[in-house]
Amino acid sequence: MKIALAGNPNSGKTTLFNAITGRIEHVGNWAGVTVAKKEGSVKKNLNKTGVSMSVVDLPGAYSISPFTSEESITSRFVISENPDVIINIVDASNLSRSLFFTTQLLELGIPVVVALNKSDLLGKKRTTVDSERLSIELGCPVINTVSTKSRHNGLVELISETAERYGKKQLSPYRGPGANLFDGDSVDAADRDRFRFVNDLVSKIETRKNPSSKQNAQDIADRILADKWLGLPVFALVMWTVFAISQTYAGPFLADLFVGWIDSLYSLVEGLIDGKVSPILQSLLLDGIIGGVGAVVGFLPLIMVLFWLLALLEDSGYMARVALIMDRFFKKVGLSGKSIIPMIISTGCAIPGIMATRTIKNERQRRTTAMLTPFMPCGAKLPVIALFAGVFFKDAAWVGTAMYFTGIGIIIAGSLIVVRITGDRNARSYFIMELPEYRVPGLKRATLSMISRGKAFIIKAGTIILLCNAVVQVMQSFNWKLQIVPEGMENTSILAGLANPFAFLLIPLGFGVWQLAAAAITGFIAKENVVGTLAVVYGITNFIDTEELALVSGGADVASLLGITSVVALSYLVFNLFTPPCFAAIGAMNAEMNSRKWLWAGIGFQLSMGYTAAFLTYQIGTFITTGSPGSGFLPGLLFVSFLIGLIAYLMKRGEREPEVQLQMSL
Amino acid sequence: MSGLLADMVNKEESVFLQKEEGKKLALDRRNLTEGKVNEEYMIREIRTDDKELENFLFSLGCYEGEKITIISALSEMYVLNLKDARYSINRELAEAIII
Repeated sequence: MKIALAGNPNSGKTTLFNAITGRIEHVGNWAGVTVAKKEGSVKKNLNKTGVSMSVVDLPGAYSISPFTSEESITSRFVISENPDVIINIVDASNLSRSLFFTTQLLELGIPVVVALNKSDLLGKKRTTVDSERLSIELGCPVINTVSTKSRHNGLVELISETAERYGKKQLSPYRGPGANLFDGDSVDAADRDRFRFVNDLVSKIETRKNPSSKQNAQDIADRILADKWLGLPVFALVMWTVFAISQTYAGPFLADLFVGWIDSLYSLVEGLIDGKVSPILQSLLLDGIIGGVGAVVGFLPLIMVLFWLLALLEDSGYMARVALIMDRFFKKVGLSGKSIIPMIISTGCAIPGIMATRTIKNERQRRTTAMLTPFMPCGAKLPVIALFAGVFFKDAAWVGTAMYFTGIGIIIAGSLIVVRITGDRNARSYFIMELPEYRVPGLKRATLSMISRGKAFIIKAGTIILLCNAVVQVMQSFNWKLQIVPEGMENTSILAGLANPFAFLLIPLGFGVWQLAAAAITGFIAKENVVGTLAVVYGITNFIDTEELALVSGGADVASLLGITSVVALSYLVFNLFTPPCFAAIGAMNAEMNSRKWLWAGIGFQLSMGYTAAFLTYQIGTFITTGSPGSGFLPGLLFVSFLIGLIAYLMKRGEREPEVQLQMSL
Repeated sequence: MSGLLADMVNKEESVFLQKEEGKKLALDRRNLTEGKVNEEYMIREIRTDDKELENFLFSLGCYEGEKITIISALSEMYVLNLKDARYSINRELAEAIII
């Protein structure tokens, strides 16, 4: 049998979905985390029927009339896929809004079971809900659930009641005046009547000792956290704490332990196979696979700690407040306050970050955010930052910090440019966002989220990155005649041959050598590959010390192996961070932008931005350190000027008559 | 004669009354940005040409006849209580909600 989970945004559908299926889908405490439907099946220990039960988690909706893209997914699914039973998740503390949707679901004729979720919060609010009376009034079972708890959460009852309702008929408690669906006014009148019915119903079953319109402790917290002046420093402090813990304290500490194990594995395998297999196979296995993958996996603890902290942050309810604080500033550059949420998520991974842009309803703002949010350095770029900071800048903390600020700077510049190209500069926009309640973030939930992200990272390292490293290792071991490349003749390898044309284009950026070009190219498959490929092409097996995040063979040694100056290293870092993201993230951009034109414009913009930023870093840096411009200055300058000129032309063309228009930005 | 005078007075009075009425109406028709914190207001009108926005607000229970309370006014944002939920809205939207 097929069960659909439907309900208002942030009523806890995905948390309940995870609890009954045992899956670990992404949850967060704000409206609109789930943007696409997700499927799973009910766990054996909850399902006593013997019949398999599949569950579909739908994006939140306030109404069955499709006003937003998530709502249209929901209503289309509910109507076309004919689920056998609908579990309607209702936030127990917000009946007067939630039951509007419930009465609509009850009219479909599909049996409905209401899960009165977050029922544990009622006591604190001095609110009582007569769920038995509600069940009688609605004509469907009503079960109290607390899907965040692992026991006594009402889920067993919910599932058995759902199984019980299978195949039954559903009668609607509400008889509307009957609307002519083609006449807007008639629908309006019908909906007003429905709200009246819900209001009457709520007054019968709910008693509130504290009216919700009274100020509470949460409102006081809001006044501090979302204050005009205090809001920003608090936000900066929160983000600094997240990055300091993951990248300076706990992360590196755990990474040390971890890299120790990888080293032992290397030695173990080396001991096992040394001299017993062909040197080619040995170097493929040791340098290509263990070395390359190990160089990447070594950064896993940093990334997991970051994901854990971000999950805590997302669970606390603070994200909606950040959107509120930032709207004031983002409005000035043509974005919505909600654009900050994708950007924060993108510090973990750009793919969920880009997907989170769907809560932005204004199309231009959503597409612009999807195009710019990958400029936030993501978790996969951390190894690249950590490597270059460690090798060339003695682990200076300013390198990482500077990269985040450069990312933010590029996003601001980018949004100013896009808003001018599209000619929407004078558009004002509406902003509305539900403020979820603050709560103590669940450690277990954050840990589960971290494990699932960590698992995905390991799978990626074990598949794509391993494959890439193996391919890179093979391509650099053989030349075009499929002979083994002799020592000292590395330039004749297939890899060098393929990477050389690209390297030529990179001369004005300071790193026109095939090794670095190859690493940058493999970075488009996955950004961790930059580290992996560098490890393979330069035969460096370990980038991280077991003591601290320096290099095992001493920072200077690796620096001399790479044979580049600090300025070039910084330029290379800038290039890798601010060019287009990995292919998977580009795929997500494509899905969210839903426009070829925007996608290619986005990729083009990201390429131009990365190239220009690296060019400026290298040439200015070289000029400061040596007093003369770096190699390829003139052709580079011409090319960069062409890019800037093109963007300036597009901006000029986009400037139309100033027309003040209000656009929805929900 | 006296009748005419009385008429004139009456007329003036009625004009005066009409003006007062108009002022009162203008006073009544305030938008949310002119409302006071912690006071419950009745929504009189959603003033927008954007049908999509109006529909969306409706599904949240924000339509004429419903009650709305301003919880706080922060950094060009208003925090509202509407049907037992809290929302933050910006000045542009607050101006569209007539109370």
